[in-house]
Amino acid sequence: MNLIRRYCSFLCTLTLGLALSVAVHAQAAAPAAAPAAAPSPTVDAELQGAAAKVPSNDDQAKGDPGGSVTGGVKDVPVADSKTGLTVTDVAAQTGQDKVAINFTWTLICGFLVMFMQAGFALVESGLCRVKNANHTYMMNFFVYGCGLLAYWLIGFAIQMGGAAGNANLGGLYPLNGEHTTTIFGKTWGLWGTQGMFLAGHTYDVGVMVIFLFEMVFMDTALTIVTGACAERWKFLTFSVTSVLMGAFTYPLFGNWAWGGGFLAQLGTNLGLGKGYADFAGSGVVHSVGGLTALAVCLIIGPRIGKYNRDGSSNAIIGHDVSAVLIGCFILAFGWFGFNPGSTLGASANGNLRIGSIAVNTMLAGCTGTFGAILYMWSLKGKPDMSMSANGLLAGLVAITAPSGFVNPIGSAIIGLIAGVLVCVSCAFIENVLKIDDPVGAISVHGTNGLWGVLSVGLFADGTSNYGGSWNGVTGSVTGLFYGDASQLVAQLVGISTLLGFVFTFSFVLNWALEIFIGHRVSAETEVAGLDIPEMGQLGYPEFVFRQETESFTEVPAAAVA
Amino acid sequence: MAASTGQGRGFTTFLVGFTVACAGIAEISAGFGKLLLAVGLVIVAASLFGFLKLKPLEGKTAEAPSSAAMKLLGAFLAAIGWVITLFGMHVVDGTSGRLVLALIGIAVSLFGMIYVLPSAFNKNAIWKA
Repeated sequence: MNLIRRYCSFLCTLTLGLALSVAVHAQAAAPAAAPAAAPSPTVDAELQGAAAKVPSNDDQAKGDPGGSVTGGVKDVPVADSKTGLTVTDVAAQTGQDKVAINFTWTLICGFLVMFMQAGFALVESGLCRVKNANHTYMMNFFVYGCGLLAYWLIGFAIQMGGAAGNANLGGLYPLNGEHTTTIFGKTWGLWGTQGMFLAGHTYDVGVMVIFLFEMVFMDTALTIVTGACAERWKFLTFSVTSVLMGAFTYPLFGNWAWGGGFLAQLGTNLGLGKGYADFAGSGVVHSVGGLTALAVCLIIGPRIGKYNRDGSSNAIIGHDVSAVLIGCFILAFGWFGFNPGSTLGASANGNLRIGSIAVNTMLAGCTGTFGAILYMWSLKGKPDMSMSANGLLAGLVAITAPSGFVNPIGSAIIGLIAGVLVCVSCAFIENVLKIDDPVGAISVHGTNGLWGVLSVGLFADGTSNYGGSWNGVTGSVTGLFYGDASQLVAQLVGISTLLGFVFTFSFVLNWALEIFIGHRVSAETEVAGLDIPEMGQLGYPEFVFRQETESFTEVPAAAVA
Repeated sequence: MAASTGQGRGFTTFLVGFTVACAGIAEISAGFGKLLLAVGLVIVAASLFGFLKLKPLEGKTAEAPSSAAMKLLGAFLAAIGWVITLFGMHVVDGTSGRLVLALIGIAVSLFGMIYVLPSAFNKNAIWKA
């Protein structure tokens, strides 16, 4: 009895040690596990006794339909066959199991996020005219390669090169270089320095997992721009822009929020809540993509025929409703990798909250759809297809940042507001700003990304516990409605950084590319459709196309060579 | 002109230059790294000037010239709003004061982004002609 009590006591200590060894979500660095206590010889003896009682090979040869024999003590690797199974062996295997579970979880979620590229391709192309289908699909296809290459070369190092300390993924200790600066006596992280080409000491199992996961997030941000600039964007300029965005724009903000940079340090350095909190990337991914899309859309201008001389706008209808709605479902499916996967683990450190995160994601998508449909139906008379689709996506975008910190009621409210907001924002951008965004990407990702960041500072309920701290500050992320106004300030600093840095940087970068390359195809190419001139092939070569009205086919006088 | 072999070769050159430059940054502590970085940047610059030569072949686009000064002003305002927010966090200690300064910074940025810049681009917009 005494032995059992001591054994239980040891296991409790071991479990507690592992649990406290702490969370890190790439987004919240925390210290790795402390070494376990020295094993007791009596426990070793008990383990060896248990190992002697395992089912024989003959027993197992009979088959195990109930699954009660397969997997047991004999499957724990023994370091020294002379001493047999020891507590050290069990503890080592327990630690590796935790990391293995987290690796598997993170990788599978990353694969889901990668599949979202297909959803984006369908949505964006479906909302464009048939004469530009191939070009739009190709941008969505090639953005994956452009972004991946740039991220492997330098982007990953800038973003995550100083993100060591993630206990979920084994520590990630090779990523131990953050370039910092000191302002007003405080040290602030600016960019990472380790991990270029994934070579040298960053050729590491944990680094590979975080690279894959963060890479697919980055590519999601890049593909947002292709939708907003569709039907008039020169393929060459799109390619160069995508490389530069994957190399610099996205990784810089990613570092500040998730890689130990200055936004993550707002809590430790200035006492602003738990620092900027963006669980899965409403700001890092969607606002960065949406604001870059806004910058490029300003430069590239509206499509021919979008606006009349009096400034009123014409609706340019997409060619494939089924592609749009199927694409939306693929995106909603992929979002279950996006948000729950951002725990970077399923084992230890509060990661059992993955179920709550997944439900929050579902609910916000649902209420976002309701918000958009009811708004359009009540005000315009029809439950508009494209706005319904955008309502779903807006709800998902908005819940991305708060998904790990809010309760289901909060997520439903956040999604509902997002669904209405996307309709209002689309109308404002199109009719007031006169910016032509064929798929509504600026509103879905930019506007609602910012709303998602803000909503963390309002709705975070203080019940999450990812290893006891977030961004190095003890406690749970708690918003204004639950008593912490300083978290709202941290979120506003993040929003200001998105508007002031990300937008401006993207604008200046793309303005330079406008001077050197030019963003826009010729007017003749635009009227003819980009498929043949830019891609050399129609998206649907055997279809007979309906003739467009004159306003869309007439080349403006000022654009005639 | 649309997509062409010249563009394809130019983009290939750009990627080669960018890769070499990144290799230089990765090995920047060694003399070899600095050389790689310099070579890479020269190749990238060469590709950009190649693009510049190809640009007139594209043909006229449905864009109208707009005031560079207004664009610069819009970008400047967007950036200065961020600076107001960041420095506001250091000069004020209270949460309320910081909240107000953050909101002021955001308002200044938004003014540059959604008022000054669209006005600059739409002033001579081609659809008005």
